[in-house]
Amino acid sequence: MTEPTTNVQAIEKGTSLWDDAWRRLKKNRLSIVGAVMLALVVLVCAFGPMIMNMSHDGENIVEDTFPEQANQAPSASHLFGTDELGRSYLARVLEGGQMSLLIGLIATLASVIIGVIYGSIAGYYGGRLDEVMMRAVDFLYGIPYMFLVILIMLMFSDAQRDSPLPIFFALGMVQWLTTARIVRGQVLTLRHQEFVQAARVMGAGDMRIIFRHILPNTLGVVVVYATLTVPAVILLESFLSFLGLGAGLTWGLLVSEGLSVINPVESYWWRLVFPSVFLALTLFSLNFVGDGLRDALDPRTRK
Amino acid sequence: MRGAVIVVGSIGAVFFLAMGLTVGLWEALVLLIGVAFISSMLWYPPHVMRIVGAALLAVFLFAFLQTIAGTVPGAVIAIVLAVLAWRFLPVRVHRRVGFMVPSMVMLIFVTTILMYMAPGSPFAQEKQTTQQALEAQAKKFKVEKTALAFFGTYMKGLLADGTMGLSVKVQGRTVEQLLMPALPVSMSLGLLALVIACFLGLVLGIRAGLKPNSFADYSSMGVAMIGISLPNFVIGAILLVIFSYSFQLLPVAGWGTYGHLILPAITLALPYAAYIARLARNGTIEVMQQDFVRTARAKGLSEQTVIVKHALKGAILPVVSFLGPATAGIFTGSFVVEKLFAVPGMGQWFVTGALGRDYSVVLGTAIIYFTIITLFNLLVDFAYAWLDPRVREEL
Amino acid sequence: MYRNLLGIGAVFAIALILVGITFSASQEEPADFRFINGSEPKSLDPHVVTGQLEGRIVDSLFEGLTFRDPKTLKPVPGCAESWDISADGKTYTFHIREEARWTDGVPITAHTFAWSWQRLQEPSKGHEYAYILHVIKGAEAYNLYEGHVERLVGPLEKGDTIVQALAKLRRENPGGVDRATWSGFMRDQKINDVVKGTRDPVIQRALLGADGRLDAGFLEQLGSSLEREAERRRALHTQAQEHFGVDEGVYAKDDRTLVVELNAATPYFLELTSFYSAHPVPRHLIERLAAERKASGENEGKEDWFLPDNIVTNGPFRLSAWRVNEKIRLERSETYWNKESIRLRIIDAFPYDNTNTALNVYLTGGADWTPTYPTSIVGALKKRPDFRKNPGMVVYYYRFNCTKPPFNDARVRRAVAMAIDRQLIIDNITKLGQPPAYRLTPPGLGDYEPPPAAWGYDPEGARKLLADAGFPGGKGIGSLTLLYNTNESHKAIAEEVASQLKKQLGFQVKALNQEWQIYQASTLALEYDIARAGWIGDYLDPNTFLDMWITNGGNNQTGWSHALYDRLIAYAADVDTFLPDAEKVVPELKEHDKARALVAAVSSADGAAARVDAAARLRLHILREAEAIFCDELPVVPLYFYVVSSMVQPYVKGFYQHPQDIHPLRGLWIDKEAR
Repeated sequence: MTEPTTNVQAIEKGTSLWDDAWRRLKKNRLSIVGAVMLALVVLVCAFGPMIMNMSHDGENIVEDTFPEQANQAPSASHLFGTDELGRSYLARVLEGGQMSLLIGLIATLASVIIGVIYGSIAGYYGGRLDEVMMRAVDFLYGIPYMFLVILIMLMFSDAQRDSPLPIFFALGMVQWLTTARIVRGQVLTLRHQEFVQAARVMGAGDMRIIFRHILPNTLGVVVVYATLTVPAVILLESFLSFLGLGAGLTWGLLVSEGLSVINPVESYWWRLVFPSVFLALTLFSLNFVGDGLRDALDPRTRK
Repeated sequence: MRGAVIVVGSIGAVFFLAMGLTVGLWEALVLLIGVAFISSMLWYPPHVMRIVGAALLAVFLFAFLQTIAGTVPGAVIAIVLAVLAWRFLPVRVHRRVGFMVPSMVMLIFVTTILMYMAPGSPFAQEKQTTQQALEAQAKKFKVEKTALAFFGTYMKGLLADGTMGLSVKVQGRTVEQLLMPALPVSMSLGLLALVIACFLGLVLGIRAGLKPNSFADYSSMGVAMIGISLPNFVIGAILLVIFSYSFQLLPVAGWGTYGHLILPAITLALPYAAYIARLARNGTIEVMQQDFVRTARAKGLSEQTVIVKHALKGAILPVVSFLGPATAGIFTGSFVVEKLFAVPGMGQWFVTGALGRDYSVVLGTAIIYFTIITLFNLLVDFAYAWLDPRVREEL
Repeated sequence: MYRNLLGIGAVFAIALILVGITFSASQEEPADFRFINGSEPKSLDPHVVTGQLEGRIVDSLFEGLTFRDPKTLKPVPGCAESWDISADGKTYTFHIREEARWTDGVPITAHTFAWSWQRLQEPSKGHEYAYILHVIKGAEAYNLYEGHVERLVGPLEKGDTIVQALAKLRRENPGGVDRATWSGFMRDQKINDVVKGTRDPVIQRALLGADGRLDAGFLEQLGSSLEREAERRRALHTQAQEHFGVDEGVYAKDDRTLVVELNAATPYFLELTSFYSAHPVPRHLIERLAAERKASGENEGKEDWFLPDNIVTNGPFRLSAWRVNEKIRLERSETYWNKESIRLRIIDAFPYDNTNTALNVYLTGGADWTPTYPTSIVGALKKRPDFRKNPGMVVYYYRFNCTKPPFNDARVRRAVAMAIDRQLIIDNITKLGQPPAYRLTPPGLGDYEPPPAAWGYDPEGARKLLADAGFPGGKGIGSLTLLYNTNESHKAIAEEVASQLKKQLGFQVKALNQEWQIYQASTLALEYDIARAGWIGDYLDPNTFLDMWITNGGNNQTGWSHALYDRLIAYAADVDTFLPDAEKVVPELKEHDKARALVAAVSSADGAAARVDAAARLRLHILREAEAIFCDELPVVPLYFYVVSSMVQPYVKGFYQHPQDIHPLRGLWIDKEAR
């Protein structure tokens, strides 16, 4: 499963692959539930603050709620309670969610772009070039990913720290390796297929063959892998936040802040529970959707 | 092929230029030479590769052995082993060595550059000290002004003296003296976590796989999903609340007794247990649908026999292939857990080293992590070859 | 199939056996007293360590001439059983205790101390706290002057010496330079560091910014003055190298008599001899190991005499184990001269740096004392009986970047200082009743009387000042960054201050956190608008809070510069230099009548003791004047003075509260019944 190979059957069916997949996906109840939950979380995080008219309440202290309403347990006026500065935890969780989801999306996108280009070049041309390029990937695999991320984060940290760009870059940099390997494996088998030969005979250039004929056929696998990369990235960011190297207000930051107020004396449980629940729900749904997509797009793994 | 050369060449040129502009021309040049050297080995004919491989092995073994056996005996042993390797080892092993040893040097170089690009210095203090004191300390601990100079000093220390340098933050010991006690700590934690992960994962996975889409399936997979979806420091905190704060059964943090091992090991194991459970479930479903299992059941074999003889087999096969990456992941990915439970392992060293700009410590952990991961990949490959004769040919 | 099972089974078996082996060896006796030390000590060499957490261990392992009484923290006889002080307060004669011994039985003599203090000053060692004993004659020359000469006139491996750079500056600006250029030059070249304490009037004038424009002639004069200064320092260094530790500064008259000569009467000298940097170190061991290292060709940086396998100590405890990141174990020393007074037998110090871990270990009975805890739950903790607190000698403040608008205008700085509601922060964030700070020096610094407050919390007045400065309602001020190092308490305060400044002054302030190393680099390079900082007093004297703000001082880091302030700090270091200048300087002071009276008291004092006393009072007044200037100018905005606190189990006895937050382990004992 780690090295999915292509399925001839699916390619022969041409466009009906996606219809087919959609049909199969619809039957997978868990995935549908996951997708619905995910959509809900995304919508709430994206539009919640706007609708509830609390843009940036999560980051800025609202003078009329501080200090009287610091560390309030959840109640009707503060659904998720407040933190020690009287900030609504609802607003913080939603705004943290925006950043977490954004990091997940952009870092994944970056990793997919790098990985697809790298993998397809290696796979398409094959031979020694492929070996050299894959050796580079092997080399990077040998470095613990967290190690790279931390070093890259430190390197860029003298630039404005409130910019999430370094973290996009750092997380993208470590996530593209697997994409590259998967895409290379796909391309390696696809390039000898008849339709590629046919295109070549018709005089299509290398780039055209790669982008018009081969890559579309790897799309399914890439989509599946990308869906599973998003949760991995969000999780990775939360580790960074735990170590004090995160990207500002994210779920990871909120969760690790929440950890520091869990103790036997007085625990502000809402500060751990709500961000954790949101984080877990999102990752939960993403994983389910990813599994469902894989089952749907790659019938070989299904029975 | 020409297209490929143009594409890769131009990407490489752009990359090189960008490197030259950001980290300096000399650094970029050294990097380029390193890449070229490693890549060029692909073109070596077998007999050249054998010589290069053996030579690199000798260098690596010497650096490693001289601390244990002393300079002269170390050199002798290294040369003897290298000659033996040159004579008897197949060329594919030499290709591996030819990749690993220069890669490690590259790793040291790249890490040094990255560290020097990060602002800060190992001697930074809240209260400023005199320039002279800083310079004297830099000299004492061999912290050079530029990345290139540091790389040179470090490699010289590594090859000529077999030392990983000195830590600035915990003085009096070399980096290898600091990391050696930490390694077994991380190892024992990791091994225990691995055992827990396998046991828990297999139980959950088989339970789920035997009755797909039942309550048993959903509950097991739900538990597994939690393991994947929650950061493990949250899981650790939940365990702490239950076992340490409420019932006071286990210590909160620290090291020294068996009790200290349990919570970190479980916390570390859970995400891997979850992955294993999912793999085991799929494997079990697959095998239970096979004709021979149906036959076995029809023959009236007890359910228990079926499970032990067949389900377990289906569950274990995919898990075995996951064990390699899982082990490497557990050993190298434990620093959040180590930090949460104040376990004196390798992960702590890496984090404090990087945050404190303790260059030698960061490089030391990088070398050890890289060695562990590469060795595990190698082991996994050999294990595959042992299990599956078809792979043996390809290796 | 069975192969697989067998393989996995074997791996598991090996795993469990390995785990078992790791642990079987580590069963040891439980400790009497366990505490959370907060981090791993950098070293246990008394000369190398610089932090409070290291001090706790080092003070238990080693004993200086004197040590701090656990209850009062006043110096009491340690290795020295008694001492005599000369009438002018400049010469101390210590009588070393007969029974002072290292744990290996080697006796401690006056020679041990002379050698140890010389080692502390050794230039090639780079000991950061060498300056603690720079009050001793010749110490500074021995420690630093060689480096000063090098920077001034060379030879340097790379770059220009200061004299060369100055010549270049003169060539490029034949018409002289203005004050701003000169300030920049001084900052780049760090001139202040290498001519500190100079008596040369030309250099002094240059350091003080020369009251405006510096013409070419003056620069030329300065060049030759610097060369002369270098010559003078070279001579002093040569002399110190020959005599310091031998027959000057600190030396042994005989085995049991140690003579210490000071530059000036230093009332707090016995506090310094109790400080860990002044502890003796075992010469016989250090030299033996150094010789062995040299023989085996090992790196000089790997000085490891303080590891458990090697170390010998002379304090109340000995080092029984130091397992990095796990714990340090101290055991009562059986060779200590006063071992009967030590009641703890085994002490464990844990290095946990996570405050939450520290607190939870404490609360679940894993430790008896934790000085750290997550500050966000201080409200709940302070109600507990085992919570101890005491006003501390620490000030929390925000630095302004005084080199660029808007904070290059003192009125804007003052407006910010007046607009922050400190009480709100104290009541709701820090929550320990910290005294709000409207000046720099915390209360309780001996006889020092701080200047009267020049301003207070007054948002209305702040807005008016801001309007005067040309920024009515904050208009014309772009968005500002408030920098702090990653820490939850700093963060809460920074965010609250940012929000108050927005509300009161209309500033757009973004609280920005940086990881510690980067925050350090940023503040040093003046890459910030406002930056958080704190300062812990080294000793009970206002000077420790005030002398860092001189122009281009290493810890200034604001770019602020004030000629009179610099001069006052210099006078306070040696009051005798003030008397000749008094006529000129006194009229510039705020309370000049008082100053004049104090000057008169010094000159008319009869007897050395009375004069020392009067000079001390004059010195405190000079510092008071300096602080008054500081509070007008406000290169930083003080927020509050710390309250030091920790959680200590009630059965731990002998634990006293002091502003210095020092709790010597030697005084502790456990009430077994209460436990």
